[in-house]
Amino acid sequence: MRYPNSLKIISEDGTKKIADDFSKTIKNGDVIILNGELGSGKTFFVKQAAKNFGIHNVSSPTFAIVNEYNGDRKIYHFDFYRIEKSEELFDIGFNDYINDKESIIFIEWGNLFPEILPEARIEIKIIVNEDFSREFKFEKYE
Amino acid sequence: MNVLGIESSCDETSVAVISDDRLKANLISSQDFHKKYGGVVPELSSRAHLQIITPLVRDALAKSDLKLNDIDLVCATAGPGLIGALLVGLTFGKALAYSLKKTFIPVNHIEGHIYSGFLMDDKPEFPFLSLVVSGGHTLLLLVESFMQIKKLGSTVDDAAGEAFDKVAKMLGMGYPGGPKIQNASLKGDPSRIKFPVADLREPYNFSFSGLKTSVLRYIQKNFPDKNIPENDLADIASSFQNAVTLALVKNTKRALENYDVKTISLAGGVAANSFIRNSFIELAKTYDKKIVIPDLEFCGDNAAMIAFRGQKLFEAGMKYDLSYAPFPALKEDQYSGS
Repeated sequence: MRYPNSLKIISEDGTKKIADDFSKTIKNGDVIILNGELGSGKTFFVKQAAKNFGIHNVSSPTFAIVNEYNGDRKIYHFDFYRIEKSEELFDIGFNDYINDKESIIFIEWGNLFPEILPEARIEIKIIVNEDFSREFKFEKYE
Repeated sequence: MNVLGIESSCDETSVAVISDDRLKANLISSQDFHKKYGGVVPELSSRAHLQIITPLVRDALAKSDLKLNDIDLVCATAGPGLIGALLVGLTFGKALAYSLKKTFIPVNHIEGHIYSGFLMDDKPEFPFLSLVVSGGHTLLLLVESFMQIKKLGSTVDDAAGEAFDKVAKMLGMGYPGGPKIQNASLKGDPSRIKFPVADLREPYNFSFSGLKTSVLRYIQKNFPDKNIPENDLADIASSFQNAVTLALVKNTKRALENYDVKTISLAGGVAANSFIRNSFIELAKTYDKKIVIPDLEFCGDNAAMIAFRGQKLFEAGMKYDLSYAPFPALKEDQYSGS
């Protein structure tokens, strides 16, 4: 995948295709931020991407803040939605997770705490249009 | 026998004492601690659990007229939950048991909810169907005994309680979403908007993500300026609550037709919703089953259910090491004994 990149889709199948293609380009140590309003499909995207690593039971991490999956790869799936202060994240060991270079990290609602995101990261912004088609904007920061 | 239960899997810290099968104390941080000590305790913080746990244990013992040395069994939640939060209660429990030279029992939080109906005077009868619905979990289980639990289905995306919270947010109602939606629904028409009820390949699984998205679409389409008149707000809340309830009832009904059970038991924070409670009371009536729904203090996260579950494991002869590790996620179908 080249960055920046913008892809438009009109159905869930489109999201699946993008997630499949994207998952083939990521490696251990990558941190992927997903931004987009409620119901834009952030969890759905991670769910699809994880299937390519043999993980089929991804569910919403909103309540647990972080879910851990062990398939062909190890995935930490974060959601900052419920977090009120960044201190809470350090309290649950965010630094330890982020320094685990043997895993892939997805973070939903990462834009809520931009100051604690690592410099090297991929950001995916999902924009829902009025006709409910979606735009995926990919950016990579080194 | 005096049993001490400790729960710290998520936002709540709770300590309970069950003495000769009678519940003596069930203290819950958000209710009891804040009232007594005041001040704002940060949510989601392991430090908050750490600050609260010792005074809660002290208060629970005092309320039960017991000394620390009178405790025979220490039980603490080992998972699932937030790892930092779990570690506080679990390590505290282990250290306490070790110092008192008493037995320690780690408890699966979900199993605590499953058997929470036994904290009521009118108890479930085996075999029973258990529906655990909370902010983090949506599970339908077949419970044949204290040692036999079979998971029939669970959510494939959002938990039911999470859907309540997120839809409440879309409607500008604030947190926690459950009570807000319930109140707004009172004046609403549950049949005005037909929100979708997911039909999945696995007959007992749940999905609430599509429902959440369709509420969002409905709002965007009909109220693009996000200005929703009060009667529409009530109808949306009511129709949404109805769709969640239909989904829960649908799978439970299916299970009732395929498994011969005596009781339906509802547990978890969402079981506090009166519309859902009433729908399950109706369902039980239709199928001529007993229905057990715990009182509100046992629906949300609480240590009484942990103490109860721990004692049952102890009585079944289960033995655990002090090296027992916390587990943040529920492993597939991994319940004690099954």
